[in-house]
Amino acid sequence: MLQYTIRRLLLMVPVALLVTIISFVLLRLTPGDPVLVYAGEEHDPATLAALRHSLGLDRPLPVQYVFWLERAVQGDFGRSIRTQQPVLEAIVERLPATIELGTAALIISIVVAFVIGIIAALKRNSVFDLLSTGIAIAGVSLPNFFLGIALILFIAVFLRWLPPGGYTPLWQDPLDNLRHLILPAITLATASLAVNLRQIRSSLIEVLSQDYIRTAQAKGLPQRLVVLRHALKNAMIPVITVIGLQVGSIIEGAIITESIFFWPGVGRLAVDSIAGRDYPVVQAIVLMSALSYMVSTLLVDVLYAWFDPRISYGGGAS
Amino acid sequence: MAQRYLSRRRFLTSAAVAGVSLLLASCGQKSATPTTGAGGVSQASPTTKVGGAVTPTTVSSKARYGGTITFVLENDVIDFDPMRSRAFVDRNVHYQIYDSLVRVDPKGNIIPWLAERWEIAPDGKSVTFFLRQGVKFHDGTAFDANVVKWNLDRYRNTPDSARRGELASVDSVDVVDTYTVRVNLKAPFSPLLAQLVDRAGMMVSPKAVQEAGADFTRKAFKAGTGPFILTEAVKDDHITLERNPDWWGKDEAGNPLPYLDKIIIKPITNSDVRLANLRTGEAQVANNIAGKDVATVKADSTLTYQEIPGLSFASLIPNRKEGFVFHEGNYVKAVAMALDRQEIHDKVFFGVGAVGYGAIAPPHFAYDPAFAPFPKPDIDGAKRLVAEVGKGQLQFEFLVPSGDPQTLQLAQLIQAQLAKADIKAEIVQLEFAQILQLQDQKSFKGMTLVGWSGRIDPDGNTYDHIHTGAPFNDSSYSNKQVDQYLEQQRTITDQAQRRDLFRKAEQIYVVDDPARVWYHFGAAMLVTSKKVQGLQPYPDQIIRFQYAWLQK
Repeated sequence: MLQYTIRRLLLMVPVALLVTIISFVLLRLTPGDPVLVYAGEEHDPATLAALRHSLGLDRPLPVQYVFWLERAVQGDFGRSIRTQQPVLEAIVERLPATIELGTAALIISIVVAFVIGIIAALKRNSVFDLLSTGIAIAGVSLPNFFLGIALILFIAVFLRWLPPGGYTPLWQDPLDNLRHLILPAITLATASLAVNLRQIRSSLIEVLSQDYIRTAQAKGLPQRLVVLRHALKNAMIPVITVIGLQVGSIIEGAIITESIFFWPGVGRLAVDSIAGRDYPVVQAIVLMSALSYMVSTLLVDVLYAWFDPRISYGGGAS
Repeated sequence: MAQRYLSRRRFLTSAAVAGVSLLLASCGQKSATPTTGAGGVSQASPTTKVGGAVTPTTVSSKARYGGTITFVLENDVIDFDPMRSRAFVDRNVHYQIYDSLVRVDPKGNIIPWLAERWEIAPDGKSVTFFLRQGVKFHDGTAFDANVVKWNLDRYRNTPDSARRGELASVDSVDVVDTYTVRVNLKAPFSPLLAQLVDRAGMMVSPKAVQEAGADFTRKAFKAGTGPFILTEAVKDDHITLERNPDWWGKDEAGNPLPYLDKIIIKPITNSDVRLANLRTGEAQVANNIAGKDVATVKADSTLTYQEIPGLSFASLIPNRKEGFVFHEGNYVKAVAMALDRQEIHDKVFFGVGAVGYGAIAPPHFAYDPAFAPFPKPDIDGAKRLVAEVGKGQLQFEFLVPSGDPQTLQLAQLIQAQLAKADIKAEIVQLEFAQILQLQDQKSFKGMTLVGWSGRIDPDGNTYDHIHTGAPFNDSSYSNKQVDQYLEQQRTITDQAQRRDLFRKAEQIYVVDDPARVWYHFGAAMLVTSKKVQGLQPYPDQIIRFQYAWLQK
């Protein structure tokens, strides 16, 4: 197991490298000049040239890449072209907001999916089950941005129950922070909620039809215990995998959700930086997202093995 | 299967109850009202004395000291360092924390500020400034001629300084004595004073710059001499400015300015949210709201709306290089004739601002209100011009930045108006950064939309946009006579003569051989809570908070 984990960790390095190369190339291929965007109302050619030079953008591309990589492995991701703020600082500043949103969305998508999925599996083919299937399909098919805007329109503008967007830091005013968190978290959670829901339901249904479940019921065990102690644990395996994949899609979805709700997280920073051709920031964020995704899938695989003792990785031990 | 779901049902119900009660609890209102201090001061209008024009700048009333105002700004400040600043929005903060050598009054006339008076040499090649004495920076550094030289040299010589273009006419700066500075020019340049009103003339503490190093532009604390001191700047959250008790400015009765204790600036990019803040009283001042909301603000009894003509213009830039459609001047003129500017003014700008035909805006001394070459859309005239060229229908690519529905609306309206004259404008939406690049390379095929925030001197709205080879001349326009007029006006200080030259040039680059198609001038808006007194809009849209005070 340990060997496997170490191998996976080592594998992350070449993958991360590849990610940085791809994002670097894609960014530079995109038409648009960061110097022009940054210069704003300043067009003096001499100044633009000086700016380009000070940003290191007049050197050949491979040189620029190697320069960036050299510093990046030491933890120095450079400074944002637009704000001159150190990139790492800019990202870390916004990380709490994104983590808060992502965690809230993840919790909602897991808890609600579990509750509804379990009931749907148990009450198979009932009205509840059909409704939950309908919701699941809707959740997967509705685009993130549409759902977000629809929620804003109904809940914030018409009903005025919640604010249309924005953010208050948690330590400043927890209640206000929660008010602002609800709509974006729901928007972000919906798609993964739907996927988790379907997976839980179908896994549980499959497990519940197993012989040992029937044995437990025949023994007179209360249904609650049958489900919670026996069925659920075995149903978890595919569910954990799916949830792990959803972490990745939540990272992805955060970008759009944060933009719609003016949530000051890393996702919005990514959007603004791409529009402004802020290369250092985008490269750092892409690398960070790739690494988070790789770490979360590794965690899922480890948990997978922990849940099912029959599963083992790598050579050696059984 | 057995049907004993009690625990699950209970779980669901309690979750629902918890959720609903959370919602109800969080729907409480949050209100913030400006605090007002005690003590009233009788005050007429704050002025600056000695030397140049003495201009009363506010309405008379009993001004009170104290209080905090929240100002909602349309974007976060990017650069607190005037040397690096490239965004208009930064200036809203710069004017509160830094003083410039000179400033303007609400009519746009240059008034003394850190320079009490100045003398322009007879040959126009140097200007001597006599500085205000006894002024200190927020960090205690003394203000004198050496500091002025340090600042101006820094703006001129630092490689990526954003102020180099503005001070390109300056050859050298000499310290004559402790409070006298002479700026030597390469050639006579009458817009110099106008350049020194804004960032290029702002005085920053050398000590503060050296101590903060590369981070100065984000952490410029206590670096100016202005009425307010920058004490806090949290990115995308808020900026705090506190009263400078040692500021040199006084109101007409001789009482020290500013009146306010504190200003909190909140960057809110969404104009609906800005408006909401104003209406609930969470913010008391804004200088940029959407045109569609003006009627709402005017109808709100808690708010005051003020608007004066601004310096900005909106235009369509054609690519007039050889090989491109609009190399043919008659085509540009046809578009200029076919546009219905009044309709654009009413529908897109909601009547805010003014219809425009050229680059010189209403507040400029060179503005001619009678200059209206295309008062109504001349469809037949446009058709005739296109027919004269004889190459069939005029078709061109109309580049529009994506992501802004209002810009798209504007583009579609223009497209429809041109279609009446049988001119086909094909809207192509591209990312803003892309369009910028195409403009810079002068490779865009038809027309794009370009605005300009405007400068106090008409030279700032014209020369760099129209002169051959100038930095903002993305249309590659070149007309020798226009070049001559524009070059000449720079060497003359007499306003009447300059005005005459500007008028002659405008006739050519708007009508006879068009450089662009101008269609609108912006407005300088000011929305304040009724409790806020002492503020009026200036043509450059920047708020002068030193005159503001809060009513009880």
